[in-house]
Amino acid sequence: MTEPYLGEFEQTVLLAILRVGDDAYAIPILDQIHEHTGRRVARGALYTALDRLEAKGCLRSRVGEPLAERGGRARRYYTVTPGALRALKQARASLLRLWRGLEARLDSKS
Amino acid sequence: MTHPPAVFEWLLSAALARDDRVEMVVGDLHEEFATRAARDGRGRASCWYAAQALTLAVWLPAARRARVHAAAESRRSGDRFMRNSWRDVRSAVRALRKRRGLTAIVTLTLALGLGANAAIFNLIDRLVLRPYPLKDPDAVVLLSETGPRLQYKKEAVSPANFFDWRAHATKLIFLSADAWWDANLVDGGQPERVAGFQVTSGFFEALGAQTALGRTFVRDDETFGRHHVVILSDALWKRRFDADRSVVGRTIVVDGEPHVVIGVMPPRFSFPEGSEIWSPIAFDPQMPPRRDLRYFTVIGHLRPGASLEDAQSEMSVLAARLARDYPDANRDHGVRVFTLLSGMLDEGTGPLLALWQTSALVVLLIACANIANLLLARATERRREIAVRIALGASRFRIVRELLTESALLALVAVPPALGFAWLSLRALRVSMPANILRFVPGFESLGPDFRLVGFTIALAVLTACVFGLIPALQAATSEVAETLKEGGRTATGRQLLRRAIVVAEMSIALPLLVAAGLGVLGTYRFVYGPQGYEPDGVLTMKLVLPERTYPDEPSRRQFMARAVAGLRGIGGVEQAAGVNNMPTSGSNSSRTIEIDGHPAPDPRQLPSVDFRTATPEYFSLLRIPIQRGRAFTDADRQDGAPVVIVSESMARTYWPTEDPIGRRIRAPNGPWLTVVGICGDVIHDWFNRRNTPAMYRPYVQSPGDSFCLLIRTPADPASIAPDARRALLAVDPAQPVFEMMTMRQALKERTIGLRYLAAVMSVFAGIALVLATVGLYAVIAYLMSQRRHEIGVRIALGASRRDVVRLTTGQTLRLTLVGTAIGLALSIALSRLMEAGMIGVATGDIRIFLGFSVFLIGAALVAGYLPARRAAAIDPMVALRVE
Repeated sequence: MTEPYLGEFEQTVLLAILRVGDDAYAIPILDQIHEHTGRRVARGALYTALDRLEAKGCLRSRVGEPLAERGGRARRYYTVTPGALRALKQARASLLRLWRGLEARLDSKS
Repeated sequence: MTHPPAVFEWLLSAALARDDRVEMVVGDLHEEFATRAARDGRGRASCWYAAQALTLAVWLPAARRARVHAAAESRRSGDRFMRNSWRDVRSAVRALRKRRGLTAIVTLTLALGLGANAAIFNLIDRLVLRPYPLKDPDAVVLLSETGPRLQYKKEAVSPANFFDWRAHATKLIFLSADAWWDANLVDGGQPERVAGFQVTSGFFEALGAQTALGRTFVRDDETFGRHHVVILSDALWKRRFDADRSVVGRTIVVDGEPHVVIGVMPPRFSFPEGSEIWSPIAFDPQMPPRRDLRYFTVIGHLRPGASLEDAQSEMSVLAARLARDYPDANRDHGVRVFTLLSGMLDEGTGPLLALWQTSALVVLLIACANIANLLLARATERRREIAVRIALGASRFRIVRELLTESALLALVAVPPALGFAWLSLRALRVSMPANILRFVPGFESLGPDFRLVGFTIALAVLTACVFGLIPALQAATSEVAETLKEGGRTATGRQLLRRAIVVAEMSIALPLLVAAGLGVLGTYRFVYGPQGYEPDGVLTMKLVLPERTYPDEPSRRQFMARAVAGLRGIGGVEQAAGVNNMPTSGSNSSRTIEIDGHPAPDPRQLPSVDFRTATPEYFSLLRIPIQRGRAFTDADRQDGAPVVIVSESMARTYWPTEDPIGRRIRAPNGPWLTVVGICGDVIHDWFNRRNTPAMYRPYVQSPGDSFCLLIRTPADPASIAPDARRALLAVDPAQPVFEMMTMRQALKERTIGLRYLAAVMSVFAGIALVLATVGLYAVIAYLMSQRRHEIGVRIALGASRRDVVRLTTGQTLRLTLVGTAIGLALSIALSRLMEAGMIGVATGDIRIFLGFSVFLIGAALVAGYLPARRAAAIDPMVALRVE
């Protein structure tokens, strides 16, 4: 079975969701990305990526309880599907294969 | 709980109405807004929210549509309206991009119109609607005494009455008083005069303000002997104490006495009138509070649950009792309670800003007219295209919507430049306002773009788009399809009538703006450069207030004045130096009731009152005030010599119309008789209400007051003497601050700052209006010419000369302009009447201004009309005819 291809940003989002854990919704996901990559991702980009990933079957979402601090609105929590997990592993493996033998050269240049 | 700005939340919810993510997105933003509001403050969080909501409202639907589209799935669900709108937006963007020139012109025009409105809106918002950063503005009240001789809405309260009010009021809490107290501050560095107020306990609480450091005043601070404590403003704390947090508890010297700093207020708190230091009001038991002297301003806070009416009726009962118990001071005196906001507002500000906003709207209206005209021209070009589309089955509604979308897009594109323009104008306003005036305009400090301004501008832009977009859109959609297709779209008489009407309207509303600006500029010029009765050039002025502790009696003040004048005269390059209690343009004034020897007043309770000045001998010659008869003061007029007085020309005329006043005597009731020794020329003390009023002058040594102005005359640039003058006065008393040191010309200009603002703002508006109106006329004439190319070609071919053609078209321009000017003149006269009523002595309907600007406008219009006419006349008839 072939796994869906994941772009770089999609991988970032998926990994951030895995880091947050069970309670992954947009705000902590953005925080994680910023914390680990230093990038300030536009919120629209994140929502779009989430939407696309869910359509691809990489994410599942569930709606939580309405919360007062959100003006009575519920959060939507995301979980990474097993398929996406496999895709992530594949992506990592292929990248590592490509890296092999290049560490010395790239390090010396930098 | 902090709630994000409702408009933008609504906008975002509406944009995502059909999106299953709406709850998540809006909720996430809400959640983060609360975090940011707590961290960065509500203002910044609101800006952030607005930006996020606007971005997401566009981004999310577009991105999802793109995805759904790319997936090429057949499960395309409903949402036709949104999809169509999106298509409209895209086709509008395409259409606008195709015509970059037009888009740029329209955007710029709109940006000017919108920007002017945004700037004025900000002024009104900050100066009238929300001048004070109050938590609960409707509950903070101002109390004013009313009485037979009290004529203003806001009148002062006597201390004794205040204390009785405070003891008995139940509907009001934190009833408190403040009184003017500008303090002389000495603490290490240069002495400085600081704007301050004495207040009772409860003052800060009434306003809902808290200290940033330390505590506010409590009742015990009002005990005489324990009252030497002060609270500093944030600005003063940063300026003089380097924002040192340990200042609380430190002792500083204020008005010659040690005071303990007990608190520091947060930034931006400077109530009232730019106060920078507050100390408690305390009464010496030897001198209990008086009931017949009114100088307290009283504020309070409505008790929760009590209404303004409750407070008013309770206070009225109280005041009636006080009037009965103390008939001497309180007969017929009552009290009025109103909200602080309505009470503190300067009564002139509202109408002035209303005038500005009206002018700004007029500018916007002209801008709209221009754009409508341009779009009309465009719609005409597109008539064929539109007719074809209608013939092929496009609904008219669809066409109107598309054209309106285009207009709305144009308007929204203009919002950022408009805000930039508004920001620049507000900055210019702030920078040009001198600090000593700024302090009396609450809210001016805080001028600047904010989230409300952005909202206002966007709303106005959308409204504007409807105004200028609807006419062309409807025109385009209602045209007769068959006719249009047949004739090839050359003429449409109805539409041309409409365009001419638009041009006439533009002209007729531009003229009143020009006239108003002209009147303002002329009035200002007259104020500053017209005859004053004295010579303001080459004079440096400064003000001093001697503290009572250091200068308790007349000899000490006399001595200070003598040494100060001598010190100033000793500066190199100084010709003369003098002192006076109130100089012209100083904004302060004194008056005295007088009895005239040999002319007893018919009613001893209604003695005449004249302006009162005390001056040193050189004062008259320094300011070049002519002594018309008799003599000026000399050093021979000593404190123990014969009491003398100089009267002004108008005083001499008023009280001794048929006699020679020299040698006659006047006196203050029960005072010593003063002999008139001279008559001096009249001066304009204050342009707004003291022009040539009767005035009497006394030698300073015979009546030494504690607050006065010092003047120096020098042939050099007076401003360059300022540091020397400061040094000379410090040598007399190193702890004595000097303030408002400026040239007399500067002082004169500052006194007319309001008027100059009016004139400057109106001039900008008028300039924009003039440019827009002439551009509009140019566009219309050019368009009409291009429509008549064929006809003109025929005329030329049949032998008409170029001059005939130019004359033909110029006649057309002239007709339009004359009609517009005539209507405009009528409007101008009405407007100048309004201005005259509002600003006495300023805007007198000067016929030259009316005629001058009419001619100017007609001239500008003729130029605008001539250019396209000349081009039309240059048509090669062969080319024009061949086009057919």
